[in-house]
Amino acid sequence: MNENRSFQRNQRRSLPTRREFLWQSGGGLGALALASMLGRDEALAQGKLHHPAKAKRVVHFFMAGAASHIDLFDYKPELAKRHGQPSDFGEKVETFQDGLGPWLKPLWEFKPYGKSGKLLGEPVSALGSVADDIAFVHNMVSKSGVHSTATLLQATGFLLPGFPGAGCWVSYGLGSMNDNLPTFVVMPDHRGMASNGVKNWDAAFLPAQHSGTMIYPGTDAPVADLFPHKSGTYITRESEAATQQLMAEINRAHAASHEGDQRLEGRIRSYELAARMQLAAPDALNLKAEPAHALKLYGLDRGPREWPKEINDEEETFYFAQKCLAARRLLERGVRFIQIWSGNDNGFPRRNWDSHEDVRRDHGPLATGMARGCAAFIQDLKQRGLLEDTIILWTTEFGRMPSSQAGTGRDHNPYCFTNWLCGGGIKGGITYGESDEFGYKPQDRSNPTQVYDIHATMLHLLGIDHERLSFYHNGIQRRLTDVHGKVIKPLLA
Amino acid sequence: MKNRTLKSSLILLAAIVLLLTINRVRNVVFAAQAVQVTFDRDIRPIFAQHCFKCHGEQKQSGGLRLDTKAFAIRGGVIVAGKALESRLYQRIIAPDGEQMPPAGERLTAEQIALIKSWIEAGANWPDAESKSASETTATPPKHWAWQPIKKSAVPETQNPKLKTRNSIDAFISTRLAQSGLTMSPEADRRTLIRRLYFDVIGLPPTPERVQQFVNDRAPNAYEKLVDELLASPRYGERWARHWLDVVHYGDTHGYDKDKPRPNAWPYRDYVIRALNEDKPYKRFVEEQIAGDVLYSGTRDGIQALGFIAAGPWDFIGHAELPESKIDGKIARHLDRDDMVANTIGTFTSVTVHCAQCHNHKFDPIPQEDYYSLQSVFAALDRADKKYFANDPAMTARFNQLDGRQRDLAERKRVIERDAAKAAGEAVTKLDAQIAEAAKKTGNETEVNALKAKRAEMIDAAMKPEIRAERDAYNAELAQLSKELSTFPKPEVVYAGTVLYGTGTFTGTGASGGKPRPIYLLARGQVTTPGREVSPGALSMLSFQSARFALPKDAGEGERRAALAHWITDQNNPLTWRSIVNRVWQYHFGAGLVTTPNDFGNNGAKPSHPELLDWLAAEFRDSGGSLKKLHKLIVMSATYRQTSAGNSQAEKSDTSNTLLWRQNRRKLEAEAVRDAVLAVTGKLDLTMGGPGWQDFVVEHPEHSPHYEYGLADPEDKQTWRRSIYRFIVRSQTQPWMTALDCADPSMRVDKRNESLSPLQALALLNNGFMISQARHFAERLQQERPNDLAGQIERAYWLAFGRAPLASERTKFMAFAQSYGLPNLCRVILNLNEFTFAD
Repeated sequence: MNENRSFQRNQRRSLPTRREFLWQSGGGLGALALASMLGRDEALAQGKLHHPAKAKRVVHFFMAGAASHIDLFDYKPELAKRHGQPSDFGEKVETFQDGLGPWLKPLWEFKPYGKSGKLLGEPVSALGSVADDIAFVHNMVSKSGVHSTATLLQATGFLLPGFPGAGCWVSYGLGSMNDNLPTFVVMPDHRGMASNGVKNWDAAFLPAQHSGTMIYPGTDAPVADLFPHKSGTYITRESEAATQQLMAEINRAHAASHEGDQRLEGRIRSYELAARMQLAAPDALNLKAEPAHALKLYGLDRGPREWPKEINDEEETFYFAQKCLAARRLLERGVRFIQIWSGNDNGFPRRNWDSHEDVRRDHGPLATGMARGCAAFIQDLKQRGLLEDTIILWTTEFGRMPSSQAGTGRDHNPYCFTNWLCGGGIKGGITYGESDEFGYKPQDRSNPTQVYDIHATMLHLLGIDHERLSFYHNGIQRRLTDVHGKVIKPLLA
Repeated sequence: MKNRTLKSSLILLAAIVLLLTINRVRNVVFAAQAVQVTFDRDIRPIFAQHCFKCHGEQKQSGGLRLDTKAFAIRGGVIVAGKALESRLYQRIIAPDGEQMPPAGERLTAEQIALIKSWIEAGANWPDAESKSASETTATPPKHWAWQPIKKSAVPETQNPKLKTRNSIDAFISTRLAQSGLTMSPEADRRTLIRRLYFDVIGLPPTPERVQQFVNDRAPNAYEKLVDELLASPRYGERWARHWLDVVHYGDTHGYDKDKPRPNAWPYRDYVIRALNEDKPYKRFVEEQIAGDVLYSGTRDGIQALGFIAAGPWDFIGHAELPESKIDGKIARHLDRDDMVANTIGTFTSVTVHCAQCHNHKFDPIPQEDYYSLQSVFAALDRADKKYFANDPAMTARFNQLDGRQRDLAERKRVIERDAAKAAGEAVTKLDAQIAEAAKKTGNETEVNALKAKRAEMIDAAMKPEIRAERDAYNAELAQLSKELSTFPKPEVVYAGTVLYGTGTFTGTGASGGKPRPIYLLARGQVTTPGREVSPGALSMLSFQSARFALPKDAGEGERRAALAHWITDQNNPLTWRSIVNRVWQYHFGAGLVTTPNDFGNNGAKPSHPELLDWLAAEFRDSGGSLKKLHKLIVMSATYRQTSAGNSQAEKSDTSNTLLWRQNRRKLEAEAVRDAVLAVTGKLDLTMGGPGWQDFVVEHPEHSPHYEYGLADPEDKQTWRRSIYRFIVRSQTQPWMTALDCADPSMRVDKRNESLSPLQALALLNNGFMISQARHFAERLQQERPNDLAGQIERAYWLAFGRAPLASERTKFMAFAQSYGLPNLCRVILNLNEFTFAD
């Protein structure tokens, strides 16, 4: 129990937290203040994990708008057989837009891949090259069929805004592995944010340094405020260096006359770190430094160009793969948790996975680009020996119905969807948890998989007991997994 | 007093040691207590504190679960009447190594005795889920916060060395003395004025005001300054921000789409106005819950209801899903959850939302209390409320007509849409023709003719009875339109209100505001409703009946009025403590209770319980004037102490819980931003109205993108105070967020305080800072033309309220000569001294 308590940085008592204590007790503790800022005052000090870890890093892919499991990963021959017949679920079904038209067969052909013979839909066929590394979970269920709340559930473990994202919890638990880049990086869709915006990854009640930092690779300003705003014409390289130096001098003298307040020294260090980040971030995001074969692997060898107005495979591939390549470079530099989003808000024309009208039109290019990027990324990590301790988790907020909507679209299906995982201690080439013959609900309805189980498994692989990583807020010790979650043992290598 | 506490702790310690020693030999039988031990009051809190972590819902070490009766009483864990045969008791008195809880978490002798008495008396454990309100209130619980407020006498401080100025100091210095500590000396005047300015009005003092105060020989110079600041309209702007943190105010809905809420701001302005007018706290509370009922016919009474709607709202869950669907039910359940949590959390510092799925784990709050509170808000939705400030009757009539009009228009639209569909391609073609014709200017005759033709076609496609229905709607709509045209234009505020809605978002207006039935939901699931509950509040407090005695035909407003009165009751022990603790926190950086939203068993205990009660009683009994409370606090010697460190005192009270000094304060995001504008001379003090926007909205038609990067830092409307910023939930302002601004999706009782490289980058490089540094330089050049030494002098006075030291002057001179004044100004705005107030 003692050990247990040490993991719960309990802020509710009037006793100071560790950081407050360190800052307020004074006397040569600047290094610890620094550690805190770097996100290194992790709840679980290195070497004191709950159990030995299999993985150190996480990359989380999120398909916003609800990706169709039955058209991409979860093949249902029964649907092909009954295509066009009135759908019959054997029970009353409630869907978001009452999309209960006739059964709609998978929109693409499925083929087997790898030794495991995993059947994949045509748009995601690129993943065939790494099919034996992947574990599929086909019996995911959500608690909501509404994008916003369901997205929050997958991203934060709660239906309401105001809870930390999964990456924040990992940052809080394990801390940083570098001293010049953020611990938790988020790459939103380049077109805009999904439902809830930053609420899917901000630190909420956890200390702010655990928030996801947004990065937009390939743009003029990939990190907000990394360099002076364009109106700062009075700033030169020389003035910048002199500014840093003058500030440090004046601030140090000020700190010396205000003894016993470690925040003052901490703030001086924060400016030094900022300067380091100014060097490290552009280097990390400089995709041009990649050799030709690497760019080719990601399909980035042709560079950005004019794109057609309609959504298309090439453009989707370019933007998604660019994020994947940037992610690899960040992982190499010690970023702990990276979240990559595909899919803008649920507006029109569709640039997201919410294919109520036409699955083929939207899912085709989005899935093709995603699969090419993910496949290259997995292969790349494998070659570099990074895959073995990096968990890759692919998710979406819910699935889509096996019945049709408007003939060629599909309505929301919160009752069943697919996740897949690979690397970092995950057993590849397997399927855990089947859906029923239509992909409507889990085969075993009494034993579905929920996000809590996925998160518990992820934390387990990182050396964390999900029940013992908690933080007090407004009356409760909060956890990523709320009061649920079990580690899915069959997924472990 | 010091001795008494110390002595009693020693006695307690000795008792425990003794007990543990004796336990190894034989079991000690404590004298049966005179008071009957009850499970909820005495036993459950012990289990909750010491056992649930390993033997609760989430974890059952050794297969034991103690949070549920059914699990705990089986297998000999608890044998009613026989403590010594109960495994539970055997383990809590077992020798070291076997004793539960394991090392470090020992039960006290008193707790062990309580458990024993309880088992011996029959281990009476009421059924949790069916526990009625009366059972839980049968005996007042022991926890400090549930006890009536006791106004103890102000301690007499006979030690002449203790510098006390008022009663607060007597409490603080007495407590300090118990720990062998004393107060720090009073800060110098320059420090005091800078502290007071930021604390009371959130802005830095001008150089002139600093000098005036420093040189003021009047004995009441400080008091004059305090009065001046409290009378300033800037005070309301500063303190309204604190209040808006707690109530999680925002100008967009959040969730999916995150649409703007263009009429939220009247509530923000109401809060500012109420604080500036020093509205009695009782009335301030009552207006926000039931102002329309209790203060009918006033503008404040309506605008204050923005409180109920302050938090996020799930647009899709309401506007696209009817209440008949499960997801629609969930959305409305969660919406009421936010109203309940916001109300009870804000005003009484209780975490009632924890009783949504089960009885509260730590506090005596049955699930039924939670749903009784939901029932108070059961008729409401969040929506724009149209009103005529001084005429409730006219407001009611208007909303009835307006609601009916929108309802009929919607019905008519559906009929005509269906008819158009039935009419088929002909109508589609005609629509194209109309669109084409409308492109040409001066073509109205043709367009109108085509439109008339379209109407004919649609009419023809309708069945006669449908057409008759539509015609009836048309007739009534014409009548309504005529009648509505006689009303003046109503005012609007986004508030908790009875909604006269249409489509799936209907609200309760059509049924005359009849509250929806609220059921006790097993495990919080809308799919498993239990019995219906009636409106009420917290049953653990016994000053009033926990279920409101309302007549059967009472209107929904009476429920809210009853709750408002329950909260502001003189005898409610929570309300008055809650507010004085919040105010104290903002003045000192930490509350007397460091968890201002949680006074429960899981929260912190008060550091100075007598002072907390004294302040609460003083505040309540002297009319609930916040300004008087502020003045009392800031006039104290405790407040005026220097914030300098003291290595001796730090050893015994590291976190300064006992207040042997004032806390140095890191300025909040708003204070930094406003201070920058004040120093550069660009601050626009225009008050009130719609929030200023420092973003460009793209794609407003579906999900607006709030693009902060596209905003022009030279846009003068953004140079107003931060309180008037338009607050977006899904895309929080990045610069403010980097500086730990409150998240409008969370009820924030205490700001995070972080330091990070991203914060440094925001302050160095954001367009706002870059452009303001230039303006600062322009101001200096204007005020001290071509006099670099004078400019540096002036910059220091403006930014820090002092002259530069010789070493600073030299360094800045050299720097400015090489890199220019704007760079110098950028340095000043980024210095530690700018961000901290001593």
